[in-house]
Amino acid sequence: MAESALFVLVEKILETLTSNMVSIPLIDPLIKMLMKIPAVNVIVAFVLWKPIFHVLILPGLLGLTLVLLFMIYFERKITARVQWRVGPKEVSRRTGGVIQALADGMRYLFQEVIVHRDAHGFYFLQFPLISFLPVLLPLLFIPAGSVWGIRSVYAIPIALALISLIPVFIIGMGWASNNKFAFIGSVREAFMYFAYEIPLLIAFLAMILLYQTADPFEIVERQSIPGILLNPLAFLAIFISILIATSRLPFDIPEADQEVAFGPYVEYSGIVFGLVMSLPYEKLYLLSLLSVILFFGGWKGPEIPLLGDLAPVLWIFIKAVIFMCVVALARSIYARYRLDQTLKMSWSVLITLSFASLLLSAGWLAWLGL
Amino acid sequence: MDEMVEFLHQGMLSLIKRWGTKWSIWPTHLVTACCGVELAHAFASGYDGERLGVLNFGMARQTNCIVVEGAITRKMARILKITYEQMPDPKFVIVMGVCGIKGGLFWNGYHMVKPYEVVPVKYFAPGCPPTPESLLRCFRALQDEITTGVGKNTISFQSSKPSGEVKKRKRPKRVPPSPKYIAKNPSVIVDVERVEKWEDGEEIRREIEEILGDLAESVKITGKNRISVRIGVENFFDAGLRLKESGFDHVKSVNIVDVPHEGKFIVEYVVSSYLNERYVSLLLTLISEIDRVDAHFPSMIEVWQSADYLERELHDLFGVWFDGNPGMGRNFLIAPDTPKNPLRKDFKIPQDVYVGGV
Ligand code: SF4
Repeated sequence: MAESALFVLVEKILETLTSNMVSIPLIDPLIKMLMKIPAVNVIVAFVLWKPIFHVLILPGLLGLTLVLLFMIYFERKITARVQWRVGPKEVSRRTGGVIQALADGMRYLFQEVIVHRDAHGFYFLQFPLISFLPVLLPLLFIPAGSVWGIRSVYAIPIALALISLIPVFIIGMGWASNNKFAFIGSVREAFMYFAYEIPLLIAFLAMILLYQTADPFEIVERQSIPGILLNPLAFLAIFISILIATSRLPFDIPEADQEVAFGPYVEYSGIVFGLVMSLPYEKLYLLSLLSVILFFGGWKGPEIPLLGDLAPVLWIFIKAVIFMCVVALARSIYARYRLDQTLKMSWSVLITLSFASLLLSAGWLAWLGL
Repeated sequence: MDEMVEFLHQGMLSLIKRWGTKWSIWPTHLVTACCGVELAHAFASGYDGERLGVLNFGMARQTNCIVVEGAITRKMARILKITYEQMPDPKFVIVMGVCGIKGGLFWNGYHMVKPYEVVPVKYFAPGCPPTPESLLRCFRALQDEITTGVGKNTISFQSSKPSGEVKKRKRPKRVPPSPKYIAKNPSVIVDVERVEKWEDGEEIRREIEEILGDLAESVKITGKNRISVRIGVENFFDAGLRLKESGFDHVKSVNIVDVPHEGKFIVEYVVSSYLNERYVSLLLTLISEIDRVDAHFPSMIEVWQSADYLERELHDLFGVWFDGNPGMGRNFLIAPDTPKNPLRKDFKIPQDVYVGGV
C-alpha cells in the first residue's frame, strides 16, 4: 500500500517536472532513452526542469564555476600579454594553460585551513559560506529566455538589492578576522560601498525609467535598439560603478595587496580563501548579466534550431563573458587610485553622471511623448 | 583523523592534490638581500616564471613557498621563521645565493645565520647572485619532486681521473688564513702628517689652533681639506664646545679603532660645518685615546645632536660607554641574541671552514 502511494507520488512529481523541461533537439534522442529507465528518469527530469536547470547549470552554478575558472585565467593571461610575457602556460601546453585556475583551485582545496587564535572562529568560517546566499539568490531572478527561476515584475530591483548585501558579508569577514589589516580593509570596503552603490542604483533607475518597466522579459522585448545607444551615460556610470563594486584594479582599494595585504581576506587560507577571493568575481558575473539585459539586448541573438531552449541561455552567457573580459582588461592597464581620490570621484563625477543619465531617460520619454 | 591525513597523502585524491600543488607554487615575497633583484628578473618579461604556474605573491597565509633571497641575518632569521610558520601546509623553501648556503660574501660574520638551520630547505640555487634560469630550475626540480616524490640534484659535476703522470706540486696548497687574526705588532697611526697643495691650508690650521688654544695636543694637516687634532679625553668636551661656537655644527661620523696589543681604543669624531663658509669643505678629525678595559668616553650629544645614533652604534659594536648618552646599556642595531662587542679584534665566534683545518 505504502509502496504504491510512493509510486503515485513519484509519478506526480515526474509529470510536473516533464511538463516544464528544457528542450534541446540536439540531445533529444539521448534524453528519450534516459527517460525510459526508472529512477534515472527522475534525476534527468529534475536537472532539466527549467528552474533547476537555470540555477544549477546555465547561467547558474555550473556557468558561475566556468566563468570563475576562465576569468581568473584570462585575467592573468591578458595581464601577462600586456606586460610582454607569456603568462600561465606549462600546465597544459596545447591549450595555452587554460586549466591554470583549476590547478590553483585544487591546490587551495587540499591546503591546510588555518583559523588563528584571535579570530572569532564561528563567524570567521560562517561568513564565507553564508555569503553564497546573496550570490545565488539574485541568479533566480535573472532570466535567460524561456529558462527562468522566479518571474517577477520587480526582478531587477530585487536582484540589485540582494547583490548589495555582499559587502555586508565582506565587512563581517574583516571584523571576524580580528586583524588590523582586515579592519582597515573593512573600513575601506564600507567607504567604497556607499560611494558606488548610489550612482549604480540611480543609473539602473534611469534604465528602468527608460523602459518603463522593471521586468526583464519586457525590457528585452522592448529593446529594438540596444540600450547602450539609447542611454550611453547610464552605461558609463554603471560600468565605472561595476569596476568599483567588484574591486577591479583601478579601484581595488579594500584588498590592495601591496598596502593592506588583501584587507578583509588577509587571514584566510586554503579553500576558504578560494571562496572569499571568488566573491568579487561572482558579483561581477551577476552585474554583467544585469548589464547585458539592460544594454545589450539580453538573450536576443540568432536562432539556433538545434539548441532549442539552450540558445538564448548561451547568448546571454556569452555576452556576459565578453563584458567581463572588457572589465578584466582594465586591471592590466590602470594603476590603483587612492581611497580619497576614489571617494571624491564617485561623490562628484560619478553621481553627476548618473543623474545626467536619469535626465537623458526623462528627455527620451518627453520626446517620444510617453 | 590520522587515517584521513594518510588517505590524503596516499589515496586516490593525492594524485589531484599533487597535480594542483605542482602547478601552483606561489612563492611569497621575502626579500632579505640583493638576490631579490634577480628574483624580480625571473618573473619579468625576459624569463616569465608565471609560465610554470609560479606566481609571486605578497602574503604568507595564502601561499605555499618561500624563496629566501640571499643573506639571512639574526634579525631576519626570526622573521623568516614567523613567515614560514604562518603558511599552511604543504609548504616548501628554496634558498637563493651563496649567502644562504654558508654565508658567501659574509662568511664567518658574527651576524649571519644559515637558513637551513632555521627552516627545512628543499633546494639551493648557488651563485652570487644566481641567474634567473637557475632559480627557475629550482622550481622545476621542486615540481618534479612533488609528482615523483624524489628530490634530485639538477647539476652533476663531471669527475675525471688524471691520466698518465701528473706533475706533483711541491707544497700542498694551503688554506688561506682565517680573515680574523691579530697581526704581531702593527703600528696604528691615524694622523700621519702630509704636505699637500692646499692654498690656505696652513692658515686654516693656525685658525683651528687658535680656537682650541692649549686644549689641543697637536694639529696636523693630513690631506687636502683634512685636518686632524689630538685632544686628551678630559678636554674633549670643552674642545667640542669651542669648535661648535666657531661654526663646526655637525658630526659627520664617529669611529673607533681597536688596538688590542696596546690596550687602547682610538676614538675619532669627524666634524664639519654647513653654516660657516670657510669650513664647509673642511673635514676636521678629533682624535682621542682611551683605555681598552675601562672604556668610557664623554658623550658629545649635548654639543652635537647628530652624534647620538653613531655613539649608540659604536656602543653596540665595541662596548665603549659614552657617558651621558641615554641609549647606553641597550642594543641599538644588533639583534638581542648577537654576542656582545662583535667588532673588537679579539672577538671570537664559532668559526666555519670550507676546507682543511683552521
Ligand atoms: S649571494 Fe650575492 S647577490 Fe645574493 S644576497 Fe648574497 S651577496 Fe647578494
